[in-house]
Amino acid sequence: MRTNIFVKDRVAVVGAGLTLFRRRLQETPRELAWEAARQALESAGLTFDDIDCIVTGTAPDAFDGLHFNGEYIADAGGFGKPTVRVYVGGGTGVFVPVAAWWHAASGLCDTVLAVAEEKMSPAHPHPQGVFAYIWDPILERPLGPNLIWIFAMEMRRYMYKCGAAKETIAKVSVKNKRNALDHPAAQAAANITVEDVLNSELLVWPVNRLDISPVSDGAAAVILARENEARRITDSPVWVEGIGFTLDNTHWYNRELAFPRYVNYAARMAYKMAGIERPWKEIDVAEPYDPFDYKELHHIEGLMLARPCEAPKLLEEGWFDRSGELPTSPSGGLLGVGNPIAAAGLMKVAEIFWQLRYEAGPRQVKKPVHYGVAQAWGDLMQAGTVIVLGN
Amino acid sequence: MVWKAWRIGDVIHYPGTQEVEKYVYTPGIHGLEFAKALKEGRILGMKCPGGIHVPPKTYCPDGSPGELVEVKGPWRIATFTIVYEDIYGNPLPEPQVLALIRPDDARRGGLIHIVKADPDTVYIGMEVKPRWKPPEQRTGHITDIEYFEPA
Repeated sequence: MRTNIFVKDRVAVVGAGLTLFRRRLQETPRELAWEAARQALESAGLTFDDIDCIVTGTAPDAFDGLHFNGEYIADAGGFGKPTVRVYVGGGTGVFVPVAAWWHAASGLCDTVLAVAEEKMSPAHPHPQGVFAYIWDPILERPLGPNLIWIFAMEMRRYMYKCGAAKETIAKVSVKNKRNALDHPAAQAAANITVEDVLNSELLVWPVNRLDISPVSDGAAAVILARENEARRITDSPVWVEGIGFTLDNTHWYNRELAFPRYVNYAARMAYKMAGIERPWKEIDVAEPYDPFDYKELHHIEGLMLARPCEAPKLLEEGWFDRSGELPTSPSGGLLGVGNPIAAAGLMKVAEIFWQLRYEAGPRQVKKPVHYGVAQAWGDLMQAGTVIVLGN
Repeated sequence: MVWKAWRIGDVIHYPGTQEVEKYVYTPGIHGLEFAKALKEGRILGMKCPGGIHVPPKTYCPDGSPGELVEVKGPWRIATFTIVYEDIYGNPLPEPQVLALIRPDDARRGGLIHIVKADPDTVYIGMEVKPRWKPPEQRTGHITDIEYFEPA
């Protein structure tokens, strides 16, 4: 049963494009954005002239080292058109199509280009330095934290609450890096074993090197269109069935870290709009945000694709493999394809689009697909963004 | 002026540090060609539907791919300003003319550069030409053009 009656128009995704994801790319941020946009338009049989509005997204300007980076990259086709940049940290990648959706669903624009870009390599000595600014400058920064600290603590809490072994969690990294072998844009695809993960450099216990996604440059783009326009453009539109975005407490230590409420609320919002009541049965393929391997399991539970603490067990059974009951990160995810922050989230949406069109080639999941969900999260994990697509 | 009287010591504060020491920017695909051409004493532009744009940047304003071409000029001042103080409020030893310089065959765009001329003689539409550094001193930076001077 669909509960939302306030949406003027149905909106579909009609095209998607992706640049290579790499540690260091020669292109400027706007050249990356342009390349992704060009591919997305080409896949939809459109040109820049056919686009009414542009929505851009990038994570902090401090990575690219350019203020107004969103407007800067919108130069790729945004010239003379209504353009807006949205920003919710790492959640931006999924928030970009969400914002593009309301541009079209409201009737304001017939066609919307949604493009996300991130170039992390300009920040030296390491882009990790940029993350320092997300901490409380007086209470936390004097301790010299880095981003991995909180994830290590959250991971430990999750392992403790759910009785999840490190060996089990490492299997997410093994699965995603293996899935990425079939992705032409992938940066960190590899055939590795659980032992490789456990024996990789220990960064912040219990997080090893291979538990984490890499630092990347890259861009992604999708084209959204209102129903009438979408049906003119393609015979196989992929409908935006539901969107969700919510904010959790910015003080991460005030949360129960073992369960991602910020994702759960956003997911409930999106499922309600999509008329999905039992996501664990109705969702056929998922792209949960996986910058760390335990995060995929954590987010699977937040997305209600498994009960709390059930994901590690299902993972062991192969439930989330490409040939499994509910394939997750068939693209290879952030762990395998790479993590140019905003672009990585949009890459996940693009993957669900390709899966639902049966265009994912060797990455296509074995089971028939009707509904898919993509998700990202931002900043100190307080911003959750979710999009549900259907064919 | 009131705002100049305020000092950081007037508020209780905790100093922070900048953890990104520097940024390294890539010039992009056409930007790299532009930089290489500067070393050779040439200025590249991009042929787009409707005209030539300077500097080149891989795609045209309408989103179509552009084609690199050499821009020979003549160059004219499209607009200019005269700078008297640096960003710290210190007076410059002598006023500096900064201009948007556009080649005659370009439709839009142009280079922002210094014009070495008596500020009183500069006008919009004035023809100028680049003054290059000696070839061995060129590094692929915009400063390989030392300045523009009246043609």
